[in-house]
Amino acid sequence: MTDAALDPIDRITRIPGDFPAPRAWWICFGVSLALLLLFLVSVGVLLVFGVGVWGNNIPVNWGLAIVNYVWFLGIGHAGTLISALLLLTGTTRRNALNRFAEAMTLFSVICAGLFPVLHLGRPWLFYWMAPYPNTMTVWPQFKSPLAWDFFAVLIYLIGSILFWYLGAIPDFAAMRDRSRSRFAQVAFGLAALGWRGEARHWARWRQAYRLVAALAVPLVFGVTASYALLFAAGPVPGWASGIFPAYFFCGAIFSGFAVVAIIAVTLRHALGLGALVTRSHLNLIGQLLLATGFMTGYGYAADAFTALWSGDAREIATLHDRWTGAYAWSYWGAVALNFLPLQLLWFRRVRVSPVPLALIGLSVTIGMWLERYMLLVTGLYRDWLVSSWGIYHASFWEWALFAGMIGVFLAPFLLFVRFLPVMSVFELREARHEKREAGHG
Amino acid sequence: MSAPRPPLWRALDADPSEARAAREFPALAALPPVERRDVLRLMGASLALAGLSGCDWGPDETAMPYVTVPEGEVVGEPRFYASAALMAGYAMPLIGRTYSGRPVKLEGNPDHPEWRGATDVFLQAALLDLYDPDRSRTPRRQDRPADWAAFDTMLADLRRRLDAEGGAGFALLSGEVTSPTLLRQFAALAARWPRARRFTHEPLGDAPRREAAARAFGRPLATRVDLARAEVVVSLGHDLLGPGPEQAVTARGWAERRRAWRAGAGAARLFAAEAAPTQTGAFAERRLVAEPDRLPALARGLAAALNGAGAEDGLSEAEAAWARAAAAALAARPGRGLVTAGPEAPAEVQALAMILTARLGGLGATLRVTEPVAPSGESLAALTEAAEAGEITTLLVLDANPLFTTPGADPFRAAFERVPLRIHLGTHRDETAVECQWHAPLTHPLESWGDARSRDGTVSIIQPLVRPLGGGRAPAEMLARLLGETETDARAATRATWREPWGAAFETRWTEALTRGFVAGTAVPELRPVPLDPPLMPDRPAAALTLVARPHPSVWDGRFANNGWLQETPAPLDKVTWGGVIAISPALAEEKGIATGDELRLTAGDRRMTGPAWIAPGQARGTVAVTLGHGRRVGGQVAAEVGADAFALLPPDGARVFALDGIEKTGARVTVATTQAHQAMEGHDFVRLTDRGAPLPPEPARASFYDPPKPSPGWGMSIDLDACIGCNACLVACVAENNIPVVGKDLVAQGREMHWLRVDRYHAGEPADPATYFQPVPCMHCAQAPCEMGCPVNATVHDAEGLNLQVYNRCIGTRTCSSFCPYKVRRFNWFDLTGDDPPEIRAMRNPEVTVRARGVMEKCTYCVQRISAARIAAKKEDRPIRDGEVVTACQAACPTEAITFGDMSDPETAVSRAKASGRDYPLIPEANTRPSTTYLARVRPDPEESA
Repeated sequence: MTDAALDPIDRITRIPGDFPAPRAWWICFGVSLALLLLFLVSVGVLLVFGVGVWGNNIPVNWGLAIVNYVWFLGIGHAGTLISALLLLTGTTRRNALNRFAEAMTLFSVICAGLFPVLHLGRPWLFYWMAPYPNTMTVWPQFKSPLAWDFFAVLIYLIGSILFWYLGAIPDFAAMRDRSRSRFAQVAFGLAALGWRGEARHWARWRQAYRLVAALAVPLVFGVTASYALLFAAGPVPGWASGIFPAYFFCGAIFSGFAVVAIIAVTLRHALGLGALVTRSHLNLIGQLLLATGFMTGYGYAADAFTALWSGDAREIATLHDRWTGAYAWSYWGAVALNFLPLQLLWFRRVRVSPVPLALIGLSVTIGMWLERYMLLVTGLYRDWLVSSWGIYHASFWEWALFAGMIGVFLAPFLLFVRFLPVMSVFELREARHEKREAGHG
Repeated sequence: MSAPRPPLWRALDADPSEARAAREFPALAALPPVERRDVLRLMGASLALAGLSGCDWGPDETAMPYVTVPEGEVVGEPRFYASAALMAGYAMPLIGRTYSGRPVKLEGNPDHPEWRGATDVFLQAALLDLYDPDRSRTPRRQDRPADWAAFDTMLADLRRRLDAEGGAGFALLSGEVTSPTLLRQFAALAARWPRARRFTHEPLGDAPRREAAARAFGRPLATRVDLARAEVVVSLGHDLLGPGPEQAVTARGWAERRRAWRAGAGAARLFAAEAAPTQTGAFAERRLVAEPDRLPALARGLAAALNGAGAEDGLSEAEAAWARAAAAALAARPGRGLVTAGPEAPAEVQALAMILTARLGGLGATLRVTEPVAPSGESLAALTEAAEAGEITTLLVLDANPLFTTPGADPFRAAFERVPLRIHLGTHRDETAVECQWHAPLTHPLESWGDARSRDGTVSIIQPLVRPLGGGRAPAEMLARLLGETETDARAATRATWREPWGAAFETRWTEALTRGFVAGTAVPELRPVPLDPPLMPDRPAAALTLVARPHPSVWDGRFANNGWLQETPAPLDKVTWGGVIAISPALAEEKGIATGDELRLTAGDRRMTGPAWIAPGQARGTVAVTLGHGRRVGGQVAAEVGADAFALLPPDGARVFALDGIEKTGARVTVATTQAHQAMEGHDFVRLTDRGAPLPPEPARASFYDPPKPSPGWGMSIDLDACIGCNACLVACVAENNIPVVGKDLVAQGREMHWLRVDRYHAGEPADPATYFQPVPCMHCAQAPCEMGCPVNATVHDAEGLNLQVYNRCIGTRTCSSFCPYKVRRFNWFDLTGDDPPEIRAMRNPEVTVRARGVMEKCTYCVQRISAARIAAKKEDRPIRDGEVVTACQAACPTEAITFGDMSDPETAVSRAKASGRDYPLIPEANTRPSTTYLARVRPDPEESA
């Protein structure tokens, strides 16, 4: 038992019962509850008065909500990719990262999904986008990228829930067995679905888990493509570009890895998981960040090149607006925050130091938000007809909803950190065991 | 293109002896003679019931739904009545469409000899004035509610006193009055009380032009221009195509001339010298930017050049060249030339312009001269003098608002206070009403009997489209009561006016007048006065800064300030809504470091005015232009607190062009709610130009995966940019037809105006003297519509007749359609914009058009309800829809007939012919949307003549 007390993996299962940083957690949770309250107020105001409480107008009739939608979804994708891709390729280093990355995915997909619904003129009718048999005998309009986006995000949400939950079943069982309170035993017991650790269970579980993972990876591409087509399928100069799906995919995982970096460093510090989230993990995150950063940078360059190479006056004008127009701050802000601090990641010393890595992650997170903002607003504020050009400023209630949505993300995430194993205990064990076996062998 | 003539109805007329009434209302024909009110009550159908229950405050009404539908009434079927609305005293002939007794749309009267179906913004918006919830409903004493009995007691006392004193001390002040009935009553009043005096104050009326005519012809005559016959027009600051009571008529004539010129008949040349940009200047082949003080010199120079003396000295090179070119053009078209100067120009310049026109043989052709269609009273200055002398003891203000429409420094304001008894009769509790001991509500012309003349003198009998909504009295009824007549009914008074001249044929002619909307042959005969010698033309002292105060294109002198439709109509040139601007030249802005939206303070003597700066391309360097009519202090919820009052800045003599002492920034910034912030085309060809007879280069074929479908009928529209003068009549007509809500200044400033049809304005060239183009933009109804592809729920779909439909109750508000729309013609209900409308506004709505809910997208439908009506009519008669049978609201309203609509699948229709002309082009063809709305390019002046 003394040996076990020192076992870093065991510590994870003990976190829910004996949280190492209760004070910090309460402070964070208090803040996120306040933000959650702000979310409820903003949604209330929105539903009572209408979407006019935002700053949207004609021509910029999409605003912060769609920016945030794309941004949150992008963040979510990294969790899926880290987890599923590394699972399928059999990389054991994923085990320290996958659980919280999946939780991050789950909560950011929920946040992302709320935005376009709230952004509707009549949000209570959002389900009309679903192809269900109805008395109106009207189907969704299948040519619309929005219909496909709705399907994609819905499937992605279901997939993310399944993937996260399936992966946690053996750990729920472990928690059930270790819980002392009756309530926790019953709760974890229900969540564990009667898991007894039989070989049969393991075999079926592995099959199901890999199947969902195999579905999740292409789904990421599908979802990024669907919301990229939201822009690219229309005739709007600056949007109608074939590179958008790839460009959005790179940007999505780039921003996602940035958030993973922040969360990993924070959890590692707060929960004392230095032995599990090792320097080698940080190094991996840093490398991924650098690589996806360059893919995103390529997207910027390709987008600009395509516009210039097209010779289309409107595409060039939009590019010019992005560089020098009213929203140039968002373009150059995105370029600066995304790519300048990133260059430090060439150095291994930076990649393995938690604080610089987290700061670079933060910089990229903000930078990618600016990029989303830039792409959306510069496409609309000056499109085809000069007479209809207009300026967009997000209103207080848009910012309030954004801040509130961060509460929607943080509150459940903090509950997850507090009450559930933040890492996959059995997989860590399995990996350690295999490593030892290999060592003995 | 005139609207197909709807079957016209007489107003619900009490006289059962009428054969026609018997045909129309067989149930009534059998009734014994009855009171008009009883008939109206019986007729409930058209007049008082169901829909109006919400807005009828009449004490004797019981609202109830139809149990037995009155005979002849088909619920949901419109009825049309010919009537007239008033603008500055003159009739605007119209045909009102009513549903179940509620007027919902006004159209021009195509048979009227002067207007010929044209309309303007004021005619279109008169409907909202009728339903204005802020209208005065009860008499007021000392600005507190009183009742009619008390008011009538006061009138009786007044009558006794006037009888005793022969009318001494009584003054009647009104705007311009052309109504034969009111003039007959005025005459009766003068006969009974010979010492009573009548005064006329029409703030932006014809008085300056009559004074100029007096200098030109020796008598104060009325003058009208006839642009249909004017092949060469030289305007010295006269905005012939600009807003005002004459716009519809001049614009139609101008468009006819231009059409003839394009077809090769004669010329259509326009030379304009102006200080501030106008719609007229926008079409001038040579536009000279001239400070207002240059007009006398220019007029002299033009006269000299016409005399063959060459350009006179004192003119700059550019001015002399302009004058020479204008003179040469005039000389080349004898009898077809018109020289004209604006009402703000010095009287001698206006007079010289008339004399030059007369010498060029333009009298009776390009310039029509008549006796004034109605006699005016004495001037306001005379009233001021009399009141100051204490000679006026009772002042009756009839439908005028002099305490707002006189200069702030006018001594009238002080003199007014000295009158012991002041009575105001008006539709609104306005600035004058609150300063009077008594105020009593007048009816709107559309709900009362009366008559009026249009500018050529043609009389229109005004018949009510609806029973009085707010309990007011018609002006004729007021005067009849003042005179103590036994029959005080306005209809009786109007009939009495015409009974004598028409004699035995009275009933026939009365019926004819009501059904046609005018009395044929009542135009005032034209005169051929001999022009006097040109007046002396002293130079005006040049000022560093000159202020030009012009009527506001939407609210005029302030009388329409409570009309939300007009307030929200973007001004033709600056596209600013909800308030006027202080327009300055780009050069002055640069010199003083002024940016659009800076609050400016103008100073002239001790008079001041503040307002937002607007940089107006094409404005003369030292000219500062403001608009009158805003800054109302009372007068309704809409009117109050909008913009600044420019009357306050005018000098006591009311001059509208004068030297300004100073212009300075206050440091504050003011929101200017403009609907178009960018004025240049940025290298695009949204507005295309071509030479006369030269077709545009053909559009390159664009890729399509499928053969384009050819629906039949396939609805399409053609808009002639060579005819559009940017007057906004189409826009207001669209608002009225399609129940488009008014959103207010803040939402317009945020880019959330709801107009389905807008008129874009572009400038090209140097800011100091740019070219100006207008382009109405409705929905393009693209054959390959990006909006339809974007909508996830099938809320915007294509129909079998080529229409791009918007299904409001399927729309969930993703706004993808708007994001994808290259033309940005879609409008979104950001809030519930209609739910809290007062009952009056609900009663006004067109029942054929859905009122949109919060959160849905809307846009131009090509007036699909009118297409449906035509389709139903055609199906009933088992025939195809005829060309010209569907007339959209914008098309019907357009005074220049710039809009053509119809079936594109039939090559013989007007719209197909327009699209087949070499001037046809699509807007933004590179978007490959294949729009059904296309444009006809504007035609450049003939090159050989513009040299």
